[in-house]
Amino acid sequence: MDLTPEPNKDDEAVGDLSFDPKGMLDAEDGALLTRLAHVVEEIDPVPSDLVERSLFAITLAGLEADLMEAVYLDAPLAGVRGAAAAARADDTAPAEAKTITFTHDSLTVMISLSPAAGGKVRIDGWAAPAAGLDVELHRPGVDVVTTASDEDGRFSFDSVERGRASLVVRRTDGGGGAVSTPVIEL
Amino acid sequence: MTGSREALPDVDGSGLTLGDRAAIALTEYREGNHQALGDLVREATPLLWHTVRAQGVEHDAADDVVQSTWVALVRHAETITEPKAVLKWLLVTAKRAAWEAVRKHRDDEKRRTELPDDSPEHPMALPAKDPLPDAEVLREERDRILWTSLQKLPGRCQELLRLVSLADRPDYRHISAAIGMPMGSIGSTRGRCLAKLRTILDEQGDFSWT
Repeated sequence: MDLTPEPNKDDEAVGDLSFDPKGMLDAEDGALLTRLAHVVEEIDPVPSDLVERSLFAITLAGLEADLMEAVYLDAPLAGVRGAAAAARADDTAPAEAKTITFTHDSLTVMISLSPAAGGKVRIDGWAAPAAGLDVELHRPGVDVVTTASDEDGRFSFDSVERGRASLVVRRTDGGGGAVSTPVIEL
Repeated sequence: MTGSREALPDVDGSGLTLGDRAAIALTEYREGNHQALGDLVREATPLLWHTVRAQGVEHDAADDVVQSTWVALVRHAETITEPKAVLKWLLVTAKRAAWEAVRKHRDDEKRRTELPDDSPEHPMALPAKDPLPDAEVLREERDRILWTSLQKLPGRCQELLRLVSLADRPDYRHISAAIGMPMGSIGSTRGRCLAKLRTILDEQGDFSWT
């Protein structure tokens, strides 16, 4: 391992991007780092559709809705998205209902996803504190679908195509501003 | 055309790094061209993902942190003062959100551990501190040895090596900010961490990495 300072041959090319030239790599170091990158990718792969969901989330950013946070509890509820193991189980057992909770300040929205006819998904939602809400379902390349909650904060979408989606929730009385869920995979 | 745009690298030039492309993407986004930003999302999401995961953020929470980092970028697109540092901005934003996610997760766990109704039907299972999968998922033996050897390094070395393995060298300045390591020491620290890693690996046999 060669730790002696060497002139940084990249200095000219990268200008102020250069750094302390100590710790130059030898060939074995370089190969080790390349292999490590491969191992990092293999052991903890980036979720396959994270890029697509991020891209859709960016297009929704213009809605000026505050992003809600998904709550991940290692709860004993079947099918909670929280545990990675449960997420994997969901892949192999899509018939299982799945519950996700989102929060923003004082508002909590819980949705339950269950199978509907034709391979579609039914979404049942509850918002707390209970209030009249307009709930918009946003999906890539599809018109926005809007539903209104009842006075207890319950709402549903009966039959939704699987795929990426985000819910945007506004109070019917216009108070409090809009909030949106992260883009999830139905 | 803004002054900062003139300071950006030549768009048609070769040898652009991820940091350069990030700077161009933000500048073009501000000018109403969203194509380059889409390319940046595709290219930089893995680096953000592993930055967040290196903080010990659970799988699904990490997914949300990466998404919200991209949303934050477009929301702050007009106010980021230094487009050339946008990759650094992304990494620092992701890392802060990762810390917040870890803190919340620990608080939740603590609250749940204190719940009195922890019944035998619902035993309290505290998740492992490190949410990363086991080395068993790796197909090649030398990769399993490399991964388990990496775990034996100090935490700072692990984080540094995981991230620099994914980045172009000129982008180290962005990474240095994200992991809170002075730019001037990242090269030598990387060297020391690699030397330690190779010492551990040498004790376990003769492997070729080329």
